[in-house]
Amino acid sequence: MAVSKCARLSGASIGDLLDSVDSVLFDCDGVIWRGDQAIPGAPEVINSLKKGGKRVFFVTNNSTKTRKMYADKLGKLGFNAREDEVFGTAYCSAVYLKTVCKLDGKVYLIGSNAMRQELETMGIQAVGVGPDHISGVQNDWANVPLDPEVKAVLVGFDEHFSYAKLNRALQYLCNPECQFVGTNTDTRLPLEGDKAVPGTGCLLKAVETAAQRQAQVVGKPSSFMFKCVASQFVLDPNKCLMVGDRLDTDIMLGSSCGLKTLLTLTGVSTIADVEAHQRSGCPIRQEMVPDYYVDSIAEILPALQG
Amino acid sequence: MAGAAGRGGCHTIRGAQIKELLQSKRNVLFDCDGVIWNGETAVTGAPEVVRLLKQQGKRVFFVTNNCTRPRENYVQKFSRLGFTDVAEEDIFSSAYCSAAYLRDVARVQGKVFVIGCYGVQKELLNAGVTMVEEDDDGPDVSIYDCPLDPDVKAVLVGYDEKFNFLKLAKACCYLRNSECLFLATDPDPWHPLRGGRVTPGSGSLTAALETASNRKATVIGKPGRFMFECIAGQFNLDPEQSLMVGDRLETDVLFGTNCGLSTMLTLTGVSTLKEAEEYKGSDSPEKKDSVPDYVVESITDFLEALEE
Repeated sequence: MAVSKCARLSGASIGDLLDSVDSVLFDCDGVIWRGDQAIPGAPEVINSLKKGGKRVFFVTNNSTKTRKMYADKLGKLGFNAREDEVFGTAYCSAVYLKTVCKLDGKVYLIGSNAMRQELETMGIQAVGVGPDHISGVQNDWANVPLDPEVKAVLVGFDEHFSYAKLNRALQYLCNPECQFVGTNTDTRLPLEGDKAVPGTGCLLKAVETAAQRQAQVVGKPSSFMFKCVASQFVLDPNKCLMVGDRLDTDIMLGSSCGLKTLLTLTGVSTIADVEAHQRSGCPIRQEMVPDYYVDSIAEILPALQG
Repeated sequence: MAGAAGRGGCHTIRGAQIKELLQSKRNVLFDCDGVIWNGETAVTGAPEVVRLLKQQGKRVFFVTNNCTRPRENYVQKFSRLGFTDVAEEDIFSSAYCSAAYLRDVARVQGKVFVIGCYGVQKELLNAGVTMVEEDDDGPDVSIYDCPLDPDVKAVLVGYDEKFNFLKLAKACCYLRNSECLFLATDPDPWHPLRGGRVTPGSGSLTAALETASNRKATVIGKPGRFMFECIAGQFNLDPEQSLMVGDRLETDVLFGTNCGLSTMLTLTGVSTLKEAEEYKGSDSPEKKDSVPDYVVESITDFLEALEE
């Protein structure tokens, strides 16, 4: 198989690419929206794709919203989208715990209410959401009361992250039978206006370091996100296009699952990043080189509307 | 036997062998947790061992990564546990050495943003290093919009039971400036508590901040050399005349090796003899350097050698 060449997508090649796929998977942050604002032209692109008979899915590592919350946000920004087309890590982690971990018990959750809701929808009870205030002296840390029904620790984005929560997770993870799952390893959570805060990856690293254990990671570039979509909709990887802004998550996922890949430059990665990967001799880095790129997904609109 | 033992020999010694080893050393450096005490209980005979060593003209130092107490509080703990003649000057903790580093090596002109417990903060105060005021946060401060102090020249991270997301976010913002120093008290991922339990250590908080900032911290504590340089700077120690006694291979023993000291593992703490022997057979240079020259069951075994 030829090394991806990162060709600029324009003119006739847009139509050719779209004709060759029946499903398009979009990352969200930096691709179809930034913060609370749609990327100009993005809603029209998605809506036109659907009108033209393509299936559209939204695949995001962001664990702060449920599928319903994402559907609401999509609707508000002008995208025609259904709840079942959205695959965020809050939802996918719940699916993972149920179907891969085959969890039979509770989860100690470092994460959002959205994550707790998705777990409940899957019939899994979560404990630990919200602030956890410290109390007592150092010797008490090891004696925090543990819920014997907790059989897994799940780490996602949590603005209430604290030493107390880190400690509790460590106490549970001292039991090697306790499963350890993380939503994603992104080091920054993008916000509007080019702001960012430390991401889930930082919190997960703290827990992994304290526990000296590696988490099973659900989010991109792990192929589970694609498998989650493919388990609910019949997908032929050869006829799927992954559109993303990050080489190490979106494009990597696309490559490893055999999808066609399109990089958009409205987010994190740059052409210089692509070229650096291309120049390296490293096979893993080559997986992060997309088949095509555009400055913005709005560029494919003319081919859809023609 | 003791004199002829090669580097990283992992030889278990007692009695006359310990005596011979101690006779060849002027300085003995002890780690604390798991070596001279466990929690609030002294290792049997440890106070007597220290007393005898000093009586026999040895210089005795305590070198600990534990940053939860300032030195003045450590003196109280020593006294409480029956060590009768340990002075502040004998104690080198990662908190004390971090403050010394900021003041004397980095010569920070400005403020330090500290993620750290009372032990860390008190040592900075004692050293005259200015910290950013904590708890100035009003109700409008959130992780998404926190005001930064323009005078911050360094970030120091250590064990902090009040660690939270806001501190992580603020530290990350300060570290965006490449001129801002990034220091960590010690690398320990977890600290042992009584009964084989553990609690998250400075290393886990440092890992979060390194991931957030995409920068590596300069780590003051063992196995880094700085704590030895701190002691040697004040007391003019000859590494060849010095013995490091510890319970953690990748911290204490590696520290000893890095500084050119003889190394001894005591089995009253974290690491086991089995682990030491596994490291001996390893291909990794770092693991090989973590193999001790000597092993004792407990420093209680020194009594036999010292009491004759």
